[in-house]
Amino acid sequence: MDFDPVPYDLVGATTLWCLGLLIVSAITLVTLTITSILTVGATGPLRVLAEIRSCAGDWFGTSPRRLGALALLTIRESIRRKSLFVFVVFAVLFLFAGWFMRGLPNDSTFHVNVYVSFVLRTISWLTLVVMLLLACWGLPEDIKARSLHTVVTKPVRKNEVVLGRILGYAAVGGLVLLVMGVVGYFWILRQLPAQQRSRLVARVPVYGALTFLDREGSPAKEGVNTGDIWMFRSYIEGNTKARAMWDFQNIDPARLQTAGGGALRLESNFQVFRTYKGNIERGILCQFVFVNEARKIRAPVPAFEVQEFRENLHTIAPELTDEAGKPVNLFTDLIQDGNLKIEVRCLSGQQFLGVARPDLFIRLPDRTFAETYFKGVLGIGLMLFLVIVLGVVASSFLKGPIATILAVFVLIVGRMARPFLESMTAGEIQGVGALESLYKIPAHINPSVQLDPSAGVKITQAIDSAELNLLWAIKFLFPEFKYYDMAEYVAKGYDVPWSAAILPSLAITVGYALPWILLGHVCLKLRELESK
Amino acid sequence: MNTLTSLQRKAIYVGGIILLIIPVIFLGMPAAPAGSGNASGSAGGLLVRLRAANDLGESSLGKVDPASATMNLVLLGQRGLAACLLWMDWDEQQKTKNWGKLRSTTESIILLEPHFTKVWVHQGWNLAFNVSAEWDRVDDRYYWVKEGAKFLQNGVLLNERYPELYWYSGDFLGKKIGRSDEWKQFRHFFRDDPDKEHYPSGLDPRINPEGKDNYLVARGWFKQANDWLDNPRGKEQHVMAKILFRSYPTRALLDFASTLQREGIFEEVCRKAWEDAFQEWTTVYGAEKYESDAGLVHLEVSREEEADLTKAEKDISDVRKKISFWVGRYQDMTNYRYWRTRALAEGEQNTVEAHRELYTGERAYLQGNFTEAKQLLVSGMTKYEKMVNDYPPLADDDETIEEGLMGQLNWRACLLLDQEPVPETYPLKKMWTEKQSHMQRVEDDFKRRRRNASR
Repeated sequence: MDFDPVPYDLVGATTLWCLGLLIVSAITLVTLTITSILTVGATGPLRVLAEIRSCAGDWFGTSPRRLGALALLTIRESIRRKSLFVFVVFAVLFLFAGWFMRGLPNDSTFHVNVYVSFVLRTISWLTLVVMLLLACWGLPEDIKARSLHTVVTKPVRKNEVVLGRILGYAAVGGLVLLVMGVVGYFWILRQLPAQQRSRLVARVPVYGALTFLDREGSPAKEGVNTGDIWMFRSYIEGNTKARAMWDFQNIDPARLQTAGGGALRLESNFQVFRTYKGNIERGILCQFVFVNEARKIRAPVPAFEVQEFRENLHTIAPELTDEAGKPVNLFTDLIQDGNLKIEVRCLSGQQFLGVARPDLFIRLPDRTFAETYFKGVLGIGLMLFLVIVLGVVASSFLKGPIATILAVFVLIVGRMARPFLESMTAGEIQGVGALESLYKIPAHINPSVQLDPSAGVKITQAIDSAELNLLWAIKFLFPEFKYYDMAEYVAKGYDVPWSAAILPSLAITVGYALPWILLGHVCLKLRELESK
Repeated sequence: MNTLTSLQRKAIYVGGIILLIIPVIFLGMPAAPAGSGNASGSAGGLLVRLRAANDLGESSLGKVDPASATMNLVLLGQRGLAACLLWMDWDEQQKTKNWGKLRSTTESIILLEPHFTKVWVHQGWNLAFNVSAEWDRVDDRYYWVKEGAKFLQNGVLLNERYPELYWYSGDFLGKKIGRSDEWKQFRHFFRDDPDKEHYPSGLDPRINPEGKDNYLVARGWFKQANDWLDNPRGKEQHVMAKILFRSYPTRALLDFASTLQREGIFEEVCRKAWEDAFQEWTTVYGAEKYESDAGLVHLEVSREEEADLTKAEKDISDVRKKISFWVGRYQDMTNYRYWRTRALAEGEQNTVEAHRELYTGERAYLQGNFTEAKQLLVSGMTKYEKMVNDYPPLADDDETIEEGLMGQLNWRACLLLDQEPVPETYPLKKMWTEKQSHMQRVEDDFKRRRRNASR
């Protein structure tokens, strides 16, 4: 795996969400109260309270029947607006896909990777564009054509209009997604040569925690940087005391034994860096040592040659021999209290072995490709739902084009700029704040140069720090869309994990959709429909 | 005020469209070849004829790829933007070593830029030289070298008039296969592909359909490059000076002969290869005429011409002086005299024997047969000395010196192991005493070879 699937911290995220919602609600309430006093007078707060009560009343009085009718209306309208024409584009793309995917390497892993990525990305982009446009233009068009007037004259609540729209578009989007997903699945099966279909699997990995020892054998934060521009892997030096150590926790020996047919199945994906050519017909040697620190047992297994960019599957028989030559059992002697420690060392002198946390894992029985594929489709579905909510909410207070721009902006920032914002606010990006830069750039002062701590500098840095904190808060306005992108798991032959992909996607969808729907309801309720 | 009805307006629009389309159809009517129902054929409309006459059509550059044409049409002028985005993706995929997607993105980029020859060269080079080096297994590396070469060959099909693409194809197959760190394995794989699943015969039909040596296949590409350089329909090349560019088919022959020696092949085939190279160097390449300020000159100077030019130096004839200057300059530029002498010397039986004995002497030393090694090495050194004396320009050639010094190092190591002193006089003594500046490098190579032999 070329990225680290870190489990999602649901408790932390929920706490932050509740806190954020509380603060935003408090600020809104205070602002509304002050504004109402200033504009209406002393009765202002009472009117605010009445509106809140009315909004709450809308939610308590929501009728599933009316919701269903509005959703049905939305579905009909979407079909009338030729949204299903997206299938034609989809069909054309798939008909000619072969033209644009020629020249693939012979290796079957590449075929699977490229085909699966193509299908999931195509589905994602096509549905996203169609549903975004539909969601952003639906309400404004209704208001413009005054067809919404007919609806609101009926005993329909505004929250039902918003929710009905969302449900209707979600149903259309869901249908389109399902059809495309199924067609895409069979397209992949048909397109792949028969002998490569066995590569369509969903590996279920169990990852451990990675720590390092340096060449002297002392604990180290990371390995050696060999100058690779991609900092994903860290390297350990061969034929020294340098080690990469994986600690697997909460593992069940009986389950592992069943999974591996009595043996332990490990998979590695290391890379090598040669400081000299050496014997190029032989790979760099690597060895696993199973360690039980409590019982002081160390059991090495035979070394193997690292094969880069390929599946390195290791089946470890339970009968091992420790360093003193005494027989030990992997499942009974080396796994203790559900913990297993594996040391990895490079045996080739002056050569380096590149490792990252997901590079070594215990492989549980594989799941079917269909399982992981449709989990990937579910990821697209959740993203689609959030985009629909965003579009409908934006269109409840903006006109079509502006609502579209807003939705696209949120989408782009959430998808592309959010990682940058994360690293900037986490202090991972070196440099100084905006005001300090404004001074340093024209003065040709290097960002690393410390300025004399004068009063002016202190004030500037305090303002910059405040800006950064503000940015930290602002970034939460944009959902982290990266979690919805599960194509990488599917394309690389892994099961889409619950904790690192599905759970965060669900949490983000619920976390953003709820306040956005409330906002949409309030905006539509306060909107003057006659003002087109 | 417009008094026309909607129907009338539409009728006028349609009429206008038809009116404009008629001349377009006539002017742009495609050419029809003679035969198949049209005995005389047709040259096509005016636009088509002008396009053909001025080589402005896409088909005049090479084959037209329908996928590429469709892609460019569908993008409605946003090709540049799409290409930029793809290049950004490509860059990220290269950084994160996502080779499958990188290969696919490379194809997509080239669909958008099918006649941008620098893109073909850059991407082909990236696959053959950069991506291949990222893999550890030597057969994987070879696979990516082939990918680069095949990619470039696709470029040749779409841009058949560009000599430089042919030249780069030859360069990849010659240089990358024949001179990289993995040259021994690559040259072997070139005639016996390790991917038996796809090439059970051991030959990749797109790279080496006839099972030839890589330098001979490269030579074929270099020759095609020269053919297009001579062809009036061919485009200019911007790789190097024309006189150097045109030397490559023969240089491939020289490289072929030289590599046979490196591989320890000293039979008739090697001598013949040098002889062929000499013939072509002097009678084909050397006879080609190149423009200079003194008019057309050629590199191979016959005895009569040489006498004439020597006389000219005493004379003050401007023209002959100029010719002498330009011939000398071009010969220096192409290292003509060195290759001429080398090929001539290597074509002799004495030289072949010298190389063979030095090579087999080293093998015998590495295998511990010191007595046999000493005999072979002394005999080889004697013949080698004769070659250097017969062809003095080779005395200052690095490759010649290093081979001579290596032979002596092996011989001295045998003497040391047999506890014999180095005699007062011995063959190649002059080289040993005068060329010590090369010793560090030769000694490093000597130690490396010993290390490899002991593994």
